[in-house]
Amino acid sequence: MAMAIAVYPTRMELLKLRQRVGLAQRGHDLLKEKVDALVIEFFEVVRRIQEARAKALEQLSAAHRALLMCFAIMGTLETKQASKEAKRELQVEISTRHIMGIAVPTVEVGEVERNALMRGYSLRMTSSVLDEASREFERALKLLIGLAELEGSAFAIARELERTKRRVNALEYILIPRLKEALKFIVMKLDEIERENFSRLKRIKAMLEERE
Amino acid sequence: MSADRLIKLELSKLNVHLPQRRLSLKEALLSAKPQVVTRDGGVHKFKREELEFLAGLLPEADRDKLQLPILIALEPKLGRGTARISGEAEVKVVSRVLEKEPAAGELLIYRPEVAILRRKLPTTTQYLFLW
Repeated sequence: MAMAIAVYPTRMELLKLRQRVGLAQRGHDLLKEKVDALVIEFFEVVRRIQEARAKALEQLSAAHRALLMCFAIMGTLETKQASKEAKRELQVEISTRHIMGIAVPTVEVGEVERNALMRGYSLRMTSSVLDEASREFERALKLLIGLAELEGSAFAIARELERTKRRVNALEYILIPRLKEALKFIVMKLDEIERENFSRLKRIKAMLEERE
Repeated sequence: MSADRLIKLELSKLNVHLPQRRLSLKEALLSAKPQVVTRDGGVHKFKREELEFLAGLLPEADRDKLQLPILIALEPKLGRGTARISGEAEVKVVSRVLEKEPAAGELLIYRPEVAILRRKLPTTTQYLFLW
């Protein structure tokens, strides 16, 4: 049971408490709406993560198959040598966008796929299966960057959801019951004072009537 | 910090993601970088494919009436999970997206519809908390 807040049983305090209960109730209702909205966002991001992860895994397995073909046709050492020769600088712009005040990451990446001439390895010494494997890995990289953005969003939304839920619970199970308990105490105390006054007045009236 | 101040702080932060000034669909389509500045100073960008999708739903004459982002107003007095869409062009677009009967001036939508709307228009819609 919620512990009552220590208050003086006065009418002023009663008015103040009613205002506080109103504010707490309003805060609770709005934060609950926010939790609902965050849950919608969270499940949407999770749904997109599942799709993105499935696509990325499929692409990665295609890339690994292409790499195995490359090992088999070109030879392991030659493939490793070509991979050492390959150079890559990828321009990634990481900014944030806001969902209900939560900063979620946005990753913008330029074209990830390149043609064979831009990869840096010698075309004379390598086979076309290496180009195929490289292309498949570049496609996988693009999907993985998209997946990273979504996972970052999911983490940010989940953190905010947890924080807001904690606030809603604190209001629902601690603050509002305590305020209501204090409100009830003041109302009862004021009623009691009123009853005491009433009986006192009746007693005085009876005494005055007896004296007359 | 007292509980009351904490609640007031939380309430004051609820709508900081909203734009300082909304942009019409026509302005957004003409802009090279369709975006708005939010109340907390951040930038909210609109995806061009969403803008084009919206443009396809509205006649050309109505494009300057549609203000972006479309606000999904959540108001506790409407009941939990109920949202209000206001504005003639906004109601027209949302009705078409959700395949609902078009209403005049105002439209009430419910949580599953909010989820569909957010899925289809993630950058051109925003939540607005009212009390």
